[in-house]
Amino acid sequence: MATQVLPGGALRGDAPGGINPVGIMPGFVTRDGVTVLEAEPLARNPEPSRRYYFYMMAPAIITLAAISLYPFFWLIWMSLHDVDIMAGDKWVGLKNFERLFTRDAKFSNGWLLLIQYSAMCLFFEVLLGVLIAVLLNRSRWEKVLVTVFLMPMMMAPAIAGLVWYYLYNGTFGWYHWFMQSVGLLGETSILGSPSTAMIGLVLVDIWQWTPLIVLITLAGLKRVPRDQLEANMVDGAGEIRNFFQVVLPNLYPFLLIGILLRFMDNFRFIDSVLILTGGGPADATNILPVYLFDVSFQYFKLGRGAAIALTLLVVTIILGMFLVKIFDSPAARNVGRTEG
Amino acid sequence: MASKDVVEYASPARRIANVAVVVFLAVYLLWTILPIFVMFVSSLKDLLEAFRIPAVGDWSGIALFFDFEPTFKHYTNLFVNLNFGVYFFNSVAAALGSAVVSVTLGATCAYALSRTEFRGKKDLFFWIISTRMAPVVAVMVPLYAIFRSLELVGSLWGLILAYTTFNLPFAIWILKGFFDNVPFAIEEAQMVDGATRMQAFRSILPLVAPGIGAFLVLCVLFAWNDFLFASIIGSGGAKTLPVATKELVQPQNIQWGSIMAAGVVTTLPMMFLGLLIRRYLVTGLTMGAVRE
Amino acid sequence: MASVSIDKVWKYYGQTPAVKELHLEVADGEFVAVLGPSGCGKSSTLRMLAGLEHISAGEIRFGAKRINDLPPRDRDIAMVFENYALYPHKTVFDNMANPLKLRGVERSVIEDRVRKAAAILEIGHLLERRPGELSGGQKQRTAIGRAIVREPALFLFDEPIAHLDAKLRAHMRGELKLMQRRLGTTMIYVTHDQLEALSMADRIAVMNDGVLQQLGTPRQIYDHPVNAWVAGFVGEPPINFLDCRIVEEKGELRLVHSSFDLVLRPEQAAIVRERYAQREVRMGIRPDQIAISTVETPDSFGGQILVTEPIGGDMLVDVSLGGDKVLVKTRPDFEGRMDSPCYLTLDRGRWHLFGKDDGVALF
Repeated sequence: MATQVLPGGALRGDAPGGINPVGIMPGFVTRDGVTVLEAEPLARNPEPSRRYYFYMMAPAIITLAAISLYPFFWLIWMSLHDVDIMAGDKWVGLKNFERLFTRDAKFSNGWLLLIQYSAMCLFFEVLLGVLIAVLLNRSRWEKVLVTVFLMPMMMAPAIAGLVWYYLYNGTFGWYHWFMQSVGLLGETSILGSPSTAMIGLVLVDIWQWTPLIVLITLAGLKRVPRDQLEANMVDGAGEIRNFFQVVLPNLYPFLLIGILLRFMDNFRFIDSVLILTGGGPADATNILPVYLFDVSFQYFKLGRGAAIALTLLVVTIILGMFLVKIFDSPAARNVGRTEG
Repeated sequence: MASKDVVEYASPARRIANVAVVVFLAVYLLWTILPIFVMFVSSLKDLLEAFRIPAVGDWSGIALFFDFEPTFKHYTNLFVNLNFGVYFFNSVAAALGSAVVSVTLGATCAYALSRTEFRGKKDLFFWIISTRMAPVVAVMVPLYAIFRSLELVGSLWGLILAYTTFNLPFAIWILKGFFDNVPFAIEEAQMVDGATRMQAFRSILPLVAPGIGAFLVLCVLFAWNDFLFASIIGSGGAKTLPVATKELVQPQNIQWGSIMAAGVVTTLPMMFLGLLIRRYLVTGLTMGAVRE
Repeated sequence: MASVSIDKVWKYYGQTPAVKELHLEVADGEFVAVLGPSGCGKSSTLRMLAGLEHISAGEIRFGAKRINDLPPRDRDIAMVFENYALYPHKTVFDNMANPLKLRGVERSVIEDRVRKAAAILEIGHLLERRPGELSGGQKQRTAIGRAIVREPALFLFDEPIAHLDAKLRAHMRGELKLMQRRLGTTMIYVTHDQLEALSMADRIAVMNDGVLQQLGTPRQIYDHPVNAWVAGFVGEPPINFLDCRIVEEKGELRLVHSSFDLVLRPEQAAIVRERYAQREVRMGIRPDQIAISTVETPDSFGGQILVTEPIGGDMLVDVSLGGDKVLVKTRPDFEGRMDSPCYLTLDRGRWHLFGKDDGVALF
């Protein structure tokens, strides 16, 4: 075998008599027992082309830009104009916004109602969802019941709205009859009175979307590490303490994801609200997206609508940033992994 | 091997709790299926039977609900007189069209995103996902203005494009997670074995095919269940099932039997599809954040 | 068949160098192991050879042909991946046939070669199974099978047996070596397990921090490490290091520690005089190069037994020497007891001295 000049130790052939001749190549030094090199290469080879990745991404990105980025800039443009289909568009500067923030009671009211609506939905959905998931987890009926619980989610919200509209009806709705019979309601249907209409909407949302929280929680429960539970039990914790000390902390990222998703969906979808109340009675359920719908597509004040849409978009994007942060956070990824 | 369940110790309190749990779950089950059940049953009732209801407080009157002659005339009415065949076709075409466009474009894009690193990738990603999260009404305002000038309002193409605004980012986002789970080493092995870059990409498609199929179905589901886009962008020429159903609600003459039948026609296929892709449902509905 | 020249090769990930100025010549038919801890740059090197990573600087040649810009499929190589990288949806047969199919080899030839390779690897009965139904060892054989059906010019193995259990690993070492000798194909084998490198390779390239530390036969690496790091990385149980002083007395050099005072051999003394001005050194000696006894002998010095660990055919003894601790490997019938005194004798022909600050081996 040929003798070779090497960094580190250097001239290395069959060392005679067990003795190493040493000669370090220029540039290399041995420090604390390790041979290191802190030089830079003389010249780098040109980077290879990664163009095919670009070509693969381009169609989707261009399409998306065309149907979402371009409309977004259009939206900003519209919000600064008085958009009129017949008379043409007129530059009005920030007037649309000024009007929203100073003179439009329905705008601020819409935000308030939207927050109220979402908060009520979320509170009950999370409470019920976690409770049901915990009761279902590892029970005999888990598989069957979860399958049944999927059904409301598969229903178009508009259809769900129509079915509940029928059930709530003051003259022939079975739910109305039930609530009347147990003394919760009088003659007026739940959607007919400003004081109860919001509750009617919340009930529909709870009906349709609690199952999602159940599913998310169940997925989370499956990832609660057994060893943590067992260690806690050996340490003397009962079931209730186990739930609060071990299960809940492990569930936290899952619940946060569920809450944010539902929160944003309440901003996104108003199908059932449009059908059930359309914002009424007396604006009691006129949550912001519904108001936006009316302004834009009932009165066709598209400029003002664009201004409202922008405020709604900004808030959703901020919520979205939180959501993406959670998706990316190590907490969400490490769920179910044991310490150590 | 440890047992699968954490041990439970029997006690009287535990037994009472168990009964309470069963009762609670039974009530919740009833609450969940009742509206769907009512929809099915009412779709089989004649007009007058659908409106019958007992006096307030008369609990035995619940029997009235089941007292009817089943009839399928609402279903025939939908398809013979109310043009629901066309609306059904519109729904299928719009939903499937946008799903296919989204998944085809989305899969190649997601693959490239999954296999390469570049500056600004995070920002690009956030932009993609935020398009999906944008409120439908807010997106619709400018889209309506643009589509009107392009004469896309009231056409199936317009509707397909509109649905792509939320399905394409969804497909990219979800499928990227999917490709991330396929070890790159498999493609590397292919390339060492003699495959070109594109052959290597194609070689892993069979591995992700079930997932791609499932998310195609999910895209169909999202589009099918839409009401807002369909009612504005699709109004007129591209009426879909939810919109057509809603239009059966008229101030003087609400045709409840037909509405319920239309509800069944709209809902049933989606429930079937939902069961079909049960395994991917949670992943899909949570934007890939939660896996079962 | 091909020789391989890695010529001043660098690998950068962004601004972080993973391989620095690597120079390595592999002869045709040679089995070279690249040994080092994780993150030392050994896998990057292999991936550059395979064409899976861009070569940031420098050049790699197969024979006389520069292959920097060739895609993997044009390099005539076969690679076995750490996690096998089998196609989960294909049978063992189709997995092994894949490289031949991609090259458009005739069906009957494929059939023939796959069956032959499967017979060599003793997986002929598994050809219709899918990877999901195979054990770790079987998967690994399938992956190797995929590599050998094509008779490539160069084998690249990336920790192929790291995930097998200890027994199977020992068995596979012998098999892989035999297979390589029989096929006569040049092989570059990446591993972090010094035992694999020592037992299989013709030559070993030891890497750390992206820098090649030493290249040599297993004997050279084990008996003549070039620096303290190589000495410490290779060998199990690991080498003992003791900080000592050189003292000159009556024309002799003596190695002085709180527990002993030993004379260097003349040829050793000559090297120290020639190349080392300082007095502080680090002495290294392997556990099996120390003799231990319960009775005092000439040349021995005293210590105290901390703990004895019988490990079947051998016995490991932890001995306290002043403030230091050394590990001694001895016969299992050694009768020293914990906390009792003992006497050690060092094999002065095989000990090593390293510079105190730089760690470069003097001998």
